[in-house]
Amino acid sequence: MEEELMESDPVEISSSAQFLGGSPAAWATVSAALVDPGSSASEQCVSESLAVLCTSGLGRHLGSWLLNTLQMRLATAVAPEFWAGLEQPENEVEERDRARVLLVAFHTLLEKLEPFIGGLEMLGRWQEEGRCGLSGPGTHALRDRAFTIIRARLLFSPPAALQRRVLEFYSRTFSVHMSQEGQAGDGGAEDGEPDDGGGCPGCAGPAGRCWCQEALGQLQELSGILCRLQLLEQVSSEAVTSIMHKLLEQRMEQHCRGEYERSFLLDFQEWLELVLGWLARVFASTEEGAGTPRATTPARGAPGRASGSLLQQWRRHMHQFFCRVYVNMRIEELFSIIRDFPESKPAIEDLKFCLERTNQRQQLLTSLKSAFESRLLHPGVHTSDILTVYISAIKALRDLDPSMVILQVACQPIRKYLRTREDTVRQIVAGLTGDADGCIDLANELSRADPVTLEMQDSEDEGGGPEDWLPDPTDAVKDKTGSKRRSSDIISLLVSIYGSKEIFIDEYRTVLAHRLLHQLNYNTAREIRNVELLKLRFGESHMHYCEVMLKDVADSRRINANIREEESKQGAGPGEEPQTPPPPPLALSAMIFSSEFWPQLKEEKLELPPVVSQAMEAYTHRYEKLKAMRTLSWKPHLGSVTMDVELEDRVLTDLTVSPIHAAIILHFQDKSSWSLEELSAKLGVSKETVHRKLALWQQQGVLREEAGGQYSVLETGSSRERLERSVLLLDSDEEGDSNTTTQLEQREEKLQLFWAYIQAMLTNLESMTLDRIHSMLRMFVATGPVVTEMDVNELEAFLQRKVREHQLMVSAGVYRLPKAN
Amino acid sequence: MKVKVKQWNGVASWLWVANDENCGICRMSFNGCCPDCKVPGDDCPLVWGQCSHCFHMHCILKWLNSQQVQQQCPMCRQEWKFKE
Repeated sequence: MEEELMESDPVEISSSAQFLGGSPAAWATVSAALVDPGSSASEQCVSESLAVLCTSGLGRHLGSWLLNTLQMRLATAVAPEFWAGLEQPENEVEERDRARVLLVAFHTLLEKLEPFIGGLEMLGRWQEEGRCGLSGPGTHALRDRAFTIIRARLLFSPPAALQRRVLEFYSRTFSVHMSQEGQAGDGGAEDGEPDDGGGCPGCAGPAGRCWCQEALGQLQELSGILCRLQLLEQVSSEAVTSIMHKLLEQRMEQHCRGEYERSFLLDFQEWLELVLGWLARVFASTEEGAGTPRATTPARGAPGRASGSLLQQWRRHMHQFFCRVYVNMRIEELFSIIRDFPESKPAIEDLKFCLERTNQRQQLLTSLKSAFESRLLHPGVHTSDILTVYISAIKALRDLDPSMVILQVACQPIRKYLRTREDTVRQIVAGLTGDADGCIDLANELSRADPVTLEMQDSEDEGGGPEDWLPDPTDAVKDKTGSKRRSSDIISLLVSIYGSKEIFIDEYRTVLAHRLLHQLNYNTAREIRNVELLKLRFGESHMHYCEVMLKDVADSRRINANIREEESKQGAGPGEEPQTPPPPPLALSAMIFSSEFWPQLKEEKLELPPVVSQAMEAYTHRYEKLKAMRTLSWKPHLGSVTMDVELEDRVLTDLTVSPIHAAIILHFQDKSSWSLEELSAKLGVSKETVHRKLALWQQQGVLREEAGGQYSVLETGSSRERLERSVLLLDSDEEGDSNTTTQLEQREEKLQLFWAYIQAMLTNLESMTLDRIHSMLRMFVATGPVVTEMDVNELEAFLQRKVREHQLMVSAGVYRLPKAN
Repeated sequence: MKVKVKQWNGVASWLWVANDENCGICRMSFNGCCPDCKVPGDDCPLVWGQCSHCFHMHCILKWLNSQQVQQQCPMCRQEWKFKE
């Protein structure tokens, strides 16, 4: 009912007033008293007039009339004047004057509106007192309505100038505030505000004309006015927010970008407090503002309280905003942070703190994944570098997210990519054994005090009771491991790239074999340590083969010592001396290995010169005597030889070469010129290989290639020869292709083994599907040191190849052997 | 030219001089070891019977222990006697 009356047409009201005799005069008195506080009508006169109005039933229209008048006045006069005042001196004046203009405009606005507010308050008081039976919504409601009207009329579509002015003014007062606080404090809050030519850091005015204080005064005044008009939030919020955001971003850009080794949380906390000091000036100055002469009525307690909670709100907002900006920046930089991980730990911790407060995990994951893909996972990056980053990522992300979900999801592409690199396993193993240049991390990780056994990681009751259980974050990948804890152990993670540890153990065996064979002394301390450490990880049974290999080395040493002793004894007696007259009997030692336990060594043919083969035979004889019913099978191409080469004018001492090099040069001792064909026939090695091996001696200036493919000894050195150098001459290509068969070859061999099984199965069962063959193979093919894991795809590819070779037929997914006709 | 070999480090694998590759009992390679052993060679030697069949020592001993009545070679059923 009340509402309807308030909204009724003003014209109707005034006309109805005229209808009732005696009322117009009373109406005029009362309305004048309400609108013009300086009106001459005495209190009593107004009361009487009010009584008249009330008796004629017009009293209740007073409120709506007053509000309507306010609205009309605003629309026709006050608002246009305000805008005009604000915009009037556009560009010519300097900032200081613009600030003044802004203040003046608001002053006039307040002056114009003040009477209405006063009138409303008076009317409200009357209503509350119930004077002359007057009733109504009361001061509060009336004021609220009035302010709603003011806001609506004034700020429905404010020109850009207002925002611009306010923004400029607030920025200025903000920098004044910050510079003052900065001086008061330790100067640590000194902002990035450019200091032009000795001007005041706050107002940037010329040295003599600092208007900092003035600006702060103006700020206080403006806040007071805005608060009085309840326009503070509408006018300032936007400007304040944008200033805060801009400054925060600026500050973060200046201080934090690229700087990962320091935590910024506290820094920013302090800075935010400082900023909030300014906000307090903007929003909380109402109490003081109430004391300014322009405020006619004392401020209620409400605005003060409101500003307190407003400040709280701002604090929260700024904090939230800080977190968000910080997270955004760090997400962008996460790749670099991970790259420098142990140093960038503070950044990770900051990020963790902030990430918990913003909902940006998804963004982090997406961004990190794409960073990995664009910066890491392309052919230009060396595998060992990828591994290094991956290891850093594991370390960093397990700090960032103890549930390991981020790690698991973000590193999926890395794992997938590493699987496609051929040398991944080799690099990992090299890292584990401390051979790799870059990643010593892995070796350290391996020797860590409490290794996680790879078998153990599946166990359910890992650490802590059921109370400590936490559900997975929602972005966890649903995989077959289900809710089982994700491993954070670097080695387990690396090993699990391929899903089986056999591959690693095989690779390690290969590396171990390579090293043992190339070692000249029988010193295995380091390898023993590595094997022991790996045993802790991979379990005793898997490392069994490696243990046997190490034992072989120790045994060989003993056997060698034994045989030497025998030799020297026989050498003293009149044994077989006449049979070995050539230069002091060849000092032969042997590395004797158990063939079943070593990786397959490349079989190469090489006929050694008689001196050597005789020595080997003698050695074998002695061995057979030492170990009944056992004999030796020499691998002539393996091993190393230390020798001196004496030429007419020079001596090359202590050359360490491979057996084939030694064999070649030994032949030249008997005959100083050989052709490639002759040598090849003599050595039982292909011409290409001989040619390649000859290069070493040519380099050393010992041999020379002559016309007609003849090689001959250079007895007298020419100028470009290098003299007397004791170097390790196992040339590079020798080092490159290790003596063990490569994985590829092993794989091939294994597939051939499978082929025998497949043929047998198909002969018996006639036809089988791919899956069936796969499962049968898995069931029947005995496990051994060779990798037996084979996935369906690989098998399919193999079978396809057999189909192409017409050794197999396939129709409708069913394989069968071709009919033998 | 004179070449003086100071030291020749050769590489060789050892193997049993046997007439078969695998042990007739455990079917493992002679050059490996019997299923109960970890280390081949001295720790898991071969033994020959007079019938000239040979086995991992551990294998044949186990076999002989399990024979109540008569101790026979598992390959040829002749009476088992160790070859001296």
